Amino acid sequence: MKFRAKMQDVLYMREFQAIVATLAKLAKDCVMILAQERMHFIVNEDHSSTSSPLVWASIAAKDYFPEYKMSPARPDHEFIVLAMSASHLSRSLAVLRSGSTSSVHSCKLKLKMIQFPCISVIASVVSPSSSESREVVHDVPATIIPSSDWAAYVLPKVPRAEIVLGLPSLRLMRSLIDKLKNIAPSLVFHGSAAGELNLVSESDMATITTRFSRLMPYPATKESQQVASCEEASCSVDSRKASAFFGALQLPNEEIIIGIDREHCIYLQLDIRNNVVLHSILPAVCI
Amino acid sequence: MLTQSQYDDYKFVCRLDHIKTFHAAIKSICFSDFGTLQASEEGLLITVEQGKSIQATIFISPSFFAEYHIQDSQSFSIKINVLAECLSLFGLADCGIKMLYKGEGSPLLILLEPHDDEQVSTECAIKTTNVEEPMEYELDSNSSSLNTIFMRGPDMSNIFHELDKAAEEYELTISPLKPHFKIATLGVMQAESSVEVAKSSDMIILFNCHATTVAQYKSQQIRLTNKALQVATKVAIKTDASGLLEMHFMMQSDAQEEMYVRFFITPLLDIS
Repeated sequence: MKFRAKMQDVLYMREFQAIVATLAKLAKDCVMILAQERMHFIVNEDHSSTSSPLVWASIAAKDYFPEYKMSPARPDHEFIVLAMSASHLSRSLAVLRSGSTSSVHSCKLKLKMIQFPCISVIASVVSPSSSESREVVHDVPATIIPSSDWAAYVLPKVPRAEIVLGLPSLRLMRSLIDKLKNIAPSLVFHGSAAGELNLVSESDMATITTRFSRLMPYPATKESQQVASCEEASCSVDSRKASAFFGALQLPNEEIIIGIDREHCIYLQLDIRNNVVLHSILPAVCI
Repeated sequence: MLTQSQYDDYKFVCRLDHIKTFHAAIKSICFSDFGTLQASEEGLLITVEQGKSIQATIFISPSFFAEYHIQDSQSFSIKINVLAECLSLFGLADCGIKMLYKGEGSPLLILLEPHDDEQVSTECAIKTTNVEEPMEYELDSNSSSLNTIFMRGPDMSNIFHELDKAAEEYELTISPLKPHFKIATLGVMQAESSVEVAKSSDMIILFNCHATTVAQYKSQQIRLTNKALQVATKVAIKTDASGLLEMHFMMQSDAQEEMYVRFFITPLLDIS
């Protein structure tokens, strides 16, 4: 079992750091799935007490890593699956963010066996005061998930949705949902094929409806059972879960795609760039 | 969107282009559950009370609004913190606001439109309840003991900031002789502190005092005026021999239009 990868582009390194930082805000542990072409992360805090939703990120390995070598434990295996602390990984990458004080040449990720398996993060940093580069090394302890347990770590599938809309003002949405979570425990997403999204929050004392109009409709990925073409769909979700996702985002992207699968879930997709995507599913709740 | 003719359905409609000052005023009186809105030809009053000892009222004249329509006089109560939450939905982004009310039993509608994103708008429907008539407090304007001080808001705010925050009681003295205007605090461990402002001070805009008045107030209640004080440009303090304290906080919008928040605070009984 071997894995090594190297990043060199400053922009990509920062993006990678931002993705991991986002995941670290959502959950304590993350699962890293390394495939031949792609690298995936999954966070799923499956305890009843937490309010984090299921989030996963898929990264086209060749985009971020000019050097990317993965050889699984056995030739018939497709993946290496690792579990590790999201915050440890995030902290080990924090050096990639510091732009003005020092510059990072490259960052290597390596699967290593010291006394225990770990992902070694090696950043080569040049301080402004010296011309020599120094290496910042973090060994993040990881647990190797044996192939017999992989069934529990399957990458989630993108759910099909009746209405899919592209929303350009993520920042506004984020602060709005943060406020709405104080008003009611559930939040209704109501979308129409005409490109309108209504967020409805209802409590004993007030009903608050926020309308986002002139959004970009995407083709529906699921036909409604009753009518051939679906005009509108709505779904009610836990407002704290929604707020946890939006509040965790560390990426500068301003557009998010929202899919509504009637009475099942809300699906959120953030296209960081082609082939680098952050997904989340907010399950429906009863009102 | 509502057009002029559709206003017929509504007994009360008002619109503000910028929410900032209004929002600050509402936040400054959010110390109790319910607030009473009274709209008439003279303007809009929003009153909040706690117990029978403190009352705050926002006065907004029709000229403060970009639009103001009223049929008869309308009054109703709402949960004031719900209103404050609604006004803060878009955070610091500047919004235009429209308030509409159809009459008894119907909710207060609030429409918010952020200026920097035309494709987004919010509609809040806040349930209204029957009016709880606010208490009437009044200072006798003909009383020989009526004392009035006008001060600059930021200066007054600084003075209050420096006062002992653990103190239980504040004593206000207004006198034609020195020390003119004095705020003394009495703390739990009998710790005392005081601030004196001479009438010749730059802080004071107007000093009108014939007879000395001294009264004690619960510091907790005085501190409820803090949020209003922080955003006020001018403060008026009035009291008379009865000790009832009337404070006016003037707030100015960017367009220099004014709105007032008035507090009435009853004094502590002098047991000695």
